[in-house]
Amino acid sequence: MPERVLIVDDHVGFRRLAGRLLKEIGREVVGEAGTGEEALSESRRLKPDLVLLDIQLPDLDGFVVASTLSSEPQAPAVLLVSSRDARDYGPRLYGCGALGFMTKGDLSAESLEALLGP
Amino acid sequence: MTKAQRRVIQAGALGIIALACFSEVKFRTLPGAIVPELSREWYLVLADLVPGSSFVLAGLIASSLRPRNRVGLLMIGVGVGLLTRNAVLQQRVGQMSVPAEVVLHFVSPLWAVLFLQLLLAFPGGQLVSRVDRAVVRSFYVVVPLAAILAVVVASYPLLGPMGQPVFDIKSPAGLIYFVCLVIGSGLVIRRWFVGGRARRRSMSPLLWPMVPITIFFVLSVAAVLGVLITPVPLVGLKNFLYSLATVFPLFLVALPVGFLVGLLRSGLDMSSVGDLVVKLSGGLAPERLQPALAEALHDPSLEVAYWLPAQEWFADLEGRRIEPPAGDSERAVSVLGDPSSPVAALVYDSALVHEGQLVDAAAAAVRLALENARLQVQLRAQLEEVRQSRARLVEAADSERQRVERDLHDGAQQQLVTLLLSMQVTKAEAMRHSDPETAMLVDANIATLRDALGELRELARGIHPTILTQAGLVPAIRSLTERCPIPVDVIGELGDVRLAPPLEAALYFVVSEAITNAVKHSKGRRMCVSLGRRSGLAIVEVSDDGVGGAELSLGSGLRGLTDRIAAVGGRLMVKSDHAGGTTIHAEVPCG
Repeated sequence: MPERVLIVDDHVGFRRLAGRLLKEIGREVVGEAGTGEEALSESRRLKPDLVLLDIQLPDLDGFVVASTLSSEPQAPAVLLVSSRDARDYGPRLYGCGALGFMTKGDLSAESLEALLGP
Repeated sequence: MTKAQRRVIQAGALGIIALACFSEVKFRTLPGAIVPELSREWYLVLADLVPGSSFVLAGLIASSLRPRNRVGLLMIGVGVGLLTRNAVLQQRVGQMSVPAEVVLHFVSPLWAVLFLQLLLAFPGGQLVSRVDRAVVRSFYVVVPLAAILAVVVASYPLLGPMGQPVFDIKSPAGLIYFVCLVIGSGLVIRRWFVGGRARRRSMSPLLWPMVPITIFFVLSVAAVLGVLITPVPLVGLKNFLYSLATVFPLFLVALPVGFLVGLLRSGLDMSSVGDLVVKLSGGLAPERLQPALAEALHDPSLEVAYWLPAQEWFADLEGRRIEPPAGDSERAVSVLGDPSSPVAALVYDSALVHEGQLVDAAAAAVRLALENARLQVQLRAQLEEVRQSRARLVEAADSERQRVERDLHDGAQQQLVTLLLSMQVTKAEAMRHSDPETAMLVDANIATLRDALGELRELARGIHPTILTQAGLVPAIRSLTERCPIPVDVIGELGDVRLAPPLEAALYFVVSEAITNAVKHSKGRRMCVSLGRRSGLAIVEVSDDGVGGAELSLGSGLRGLTDRIAAVGGRLMVKSDHAGGTTIHAEVPCG
């Protein structure tokens, strides 16, 4: 069960609120990143169990970050999030090494708990 | 050159022939001739006189047929040079005073330089290329000096006892002469290969006499080199060369005839202008104009470039912009009409450059047809411009749609998401503080907000589907069909290489509109989207098994799609009947 979470999104407000929700379900937010490059370096440094990763980042594509992370040793689980829904990404969602995908509108304490476990 | 000057030259040339004949006959019949081993046989007399005389006579005919063309004069010059050379050969100069002998030796090899100039200037009469001009000018200095050097200083004659040239490369003068020959031959060969068909057509009559002459020269050089390399003289080759030297003058006789025939073939003759006029009177379509002119001028490489005054550039028949080349040694350009507002430009082989009058005659004959063709080209150019402008408009609209979708995503959607998450946090806190009433109230608001977010997402997707940019046309179409209430089969593929974004967008919106229409109006139970790529076209076909009745003229949706597909150079067809449902077929060129 993933305990330690890294949140990656270029919106500070989203990171703050997602952090609050994760804490509500008992997860530890070990760090935050605003870009893809930052996400890679922070993940290597902090070694989280889970990366909550926005698809649209200012530099690297979230799919590229997910794919890179999943190919590394002791790869963290990656949960992709976006304000668009799965139909907007089609087959790109599969095969990038992510654990799953969730629209940001569906994020809640309950949905996260259901996905990550109590 | 004036007519009187031409007459003087013609009379002078004939006089030289007469003088040469008189001198030859007198010399041959003298008791105790200086070259007794040659005997006084008459065929040798003819062999000495005929090559030069035939060049002079052919030159006279050429200059009267083409008075503005210098080829005739050059031929006369070569002929006179050969006759002078003959005098040197017979060593009659030994009977002259020393200054006269030196002058004659200086002048006699000039026939070879004149001959090279003739070859390089043929059939136009002028040296067009800078290289040709520089080489010929330098030869006019180097070759006579080498001849003087050979005879006066080194006592190496340049001509053998039978009149054949001797390239004695053991002498410095002979070496210079040999190098000049190699350079000259190289230029002539290059001229043949880089020239267009018009030039080759006029030069081809020279080929037959030139082949044995060239073989003779090559073997002569081989014989000299053979002597140099091996101490044993190549007796067989020498004997062969001597026999070839006997008939050598006959090949020289064939040359002026070849020049004359080539000259007559070089330009546009009036009969071809007549043929052109006949063709025009029968009505000549613009696309047949260029081939007809090319045929009349015997230059298949001829091109017509039409001047478009509005655009201020030249265009081809399709209205596409072209840049006529600047005239050079290979291609010539004639601008027809007033230079400030030309009608067209003819680009042709520079072999025709000195046939300006004849080119003008042909151009005058087709002037009206050229004007008509230009109007058509202008219309095509305008249509092409409209097509490009329409394509640019569609592309700009697509970019704008993409920007709006992005703005919605980055702006309103993000704010709503933040608000939604904030409410989720509030709800979680209310639950933690055992306040179910607040939690329920917040939850109701979350549901409303989620609906609003969903609608906004649909709106953004309708404006521009992200999946089209992200994953390409096929996944975008599959995503469309997955949301369709009627089952849709997607068959076929469009290949691994993605289409250009404007093509993908155009085809995507065809499928999207066709599915929307089918859901709304067809009452069908099943649909099929068929994809394929063949003959440079990407093809998408959407069919349903509904009630039919769709028409391009009805409704703005299909009409708009037709315009959109046409803007990227494709076409859209609708087949709809009451029995067989509706099929919308779209194809776009994809290279």
